[in-house]
Amino acid sequence: MFSAIGCKVMGASHTILMFDSGFRSIINYYASMVTATSDILDARLPAAESMPAPKREYPGALVVVEGIDGSGKSTQLYLLKRWLEIGGYRIHFTEWNSSPLVKSATRRGKQRRLLTPTTFSLLHAADFADRCERQILPLLQGGYLVLADRYIYTAFARDAARGCSPHWLRNLYSFAPVPDITFYFRAPLDVAVNRIVAGRPKLKYYEAGMDLGISLDRTESFRIFQERILNNYDQMVETDHFVLMDGTLRVNKLQKQMRQIVGERVELAQFAPQKPKKQ
Amino acid sequence: MKRTKKMGDSAASPNGGPQKRSKNGRNGKNEREQAPARFYGTPLPGVHPEELSGSLVVVEGTDGSGRSTQISLLTEWLESEGFAVETMGLRRSFLVGEDIDALLAENSVTRMTLALMYGTDFFDQVERRILPALRSGLIVLADRYIFTLIARAAVRGIGRDYLHGIYELALRPDLTFWLNVRPEVAFDREFKKSQTISYWESGRDMSLSNDLFQSFIRYQSMIKREFEYLSKRHGFIELKGEGSVSEVNRELRKRIASHLGIRRTQYKPSHALAHLWR
Repeated sequence: MFSAIGCKVMGASHTILMFDSGFRSIINYYASMVTATSDILDARLPAAESMPAPKREYPGALVVVEGIDGSGKSTQLYLLKRWLEIGGYRIHFTEWNSSPLVKSATRRGKQRRLLTPTTFSLLHAADFADRCERQILPLLQGGYLVLADRYIYTAFARDAARGCSPHWLRNLYSFAPVPDITFYFRAPLDVAVNRIVAGRPKLKYYEAGMDLGISLDRTESFRIFQERILNNYDQMVETDHFVLMDGTLRVNKLQKQMRQIVGERVELAQFAPQKPKKQ
Repeated sequence: MKRTKKMGDSAASPNGGPQKRSKNGRNGKNEREQAPARFYGTPLPGVHPEELSGSLVVVEGTDGSGRSTQISLLTEWLESEGFAVETMGLRRSFLVGEDIDALLAENSVTRMTLALMYGTDFFDQVERRILPALRSGLIVLADRYIFTLIARAAVRGIGRDYLHGIYELALRPDLTFWLNVRPEVAFDREFKKSQTISYWESGRDMSLSNDLFQSFIRYQSMIKREFEYLSKRHGFIELKGEGSVSEVNRELRKRIASHLGIRRTQYKPSHALAHLWR
């Protein structure tokens, strides 16, 4: 039942679009991300249209954590956030799947098990779009350090594990700004799965990937689903410049590493509290 | 009728060899001419295009083009001819239809979020109602389709390539009608119907003009331009939506009849629908 259809990558002509030169840089950016190939795409479009562009021309910075459930990513991002908060830095924290506008739809879809791989993916993309347009992008433009617990790579790994086409997913999220750092917390499958299973009374239906019909046993289904996601994450380490973190290390040791990397890669001084000017 | 002959990249026969198109012996269809692929690009996960024996007929057009009236009449006509009909439209999914209504009612929603909610609404209807209907050989009448969704998002600055990328999972219609009316005519009809002009149909989120009439005309003209482009691209059958209901309906019936192989295209609306016939 889990067929290869969704994973089929179509080999066809790369689309060249006729745009005004002013938009060319954006288009080039997309051309590199979007390998759309359907025959309705090879059009010479009549006028220039830009995407809500993920330009890197903003003073803010974006740090995200990724990894399967139980990899320790949320704990680590929380500690990073506390460190920056206590230091008085200008930060904003955002979580996957938390937009108030889209929440009721997602909840209903999950409770009543109405979601297919495609609608599951689109609904999460709508949630992300809402946070992106109303929080992440304005805050990056306003010079904030934005911390995101899960980002578009969660969708790439998880929705592809559900059978969505990887190139379709890349296009879907192509409006997202590219993170300055993507921490990928990697823990062995057993370690991660045991952390989750031990701490939770019952795994939720979609969380366990029950919609895929892999196994009637929730824990078993969860395990196989997480394994697929883990494999998908692993494939993005190179292509998406993940910073690999060993999720089996002690919490404080890992946090020390994380803070060090953030300090090296992000100009923290620009988010530091402004000292009041002497009069 | 002119149809795009171009094949999709993925589906259908790879080598043009003698292909059996199963369950497709419906009269009226030219068996030797290869039908275009049922999907624009990659089919939806888990769908086998060859199972879909029904037909998908799309009617596009702005509010005030007479679209919904024509859909009601066509449904009755097709049912009287013995065809089972399923309909789809915007914001009619069980999953998010009402959520979009709620989003439209407040003004905090942004263009990408709205575009993707409409996408969710579209694919929920396709996967839960339309594909099962097409598998069972029904005629699906779509009261608007991806083209409206693409046009609306494109005039708000979302890239057309991006939008086409999302909707490449959609089914390619067998027939797409575009009821083309001038924005001024649409304005008159809409105003007559509801005594006001809707916030979204006049594109007021786009700050085009403080004058509601101007805003409506400018917005609808932008949408129309997108449609002119989409029409060429996808081989729409353009009908003059400003004609009388019965004239437009006759033209629609003629085209659909020829596609389905119905000989008799005579039709007179029942008492229940007689008020639409003007």
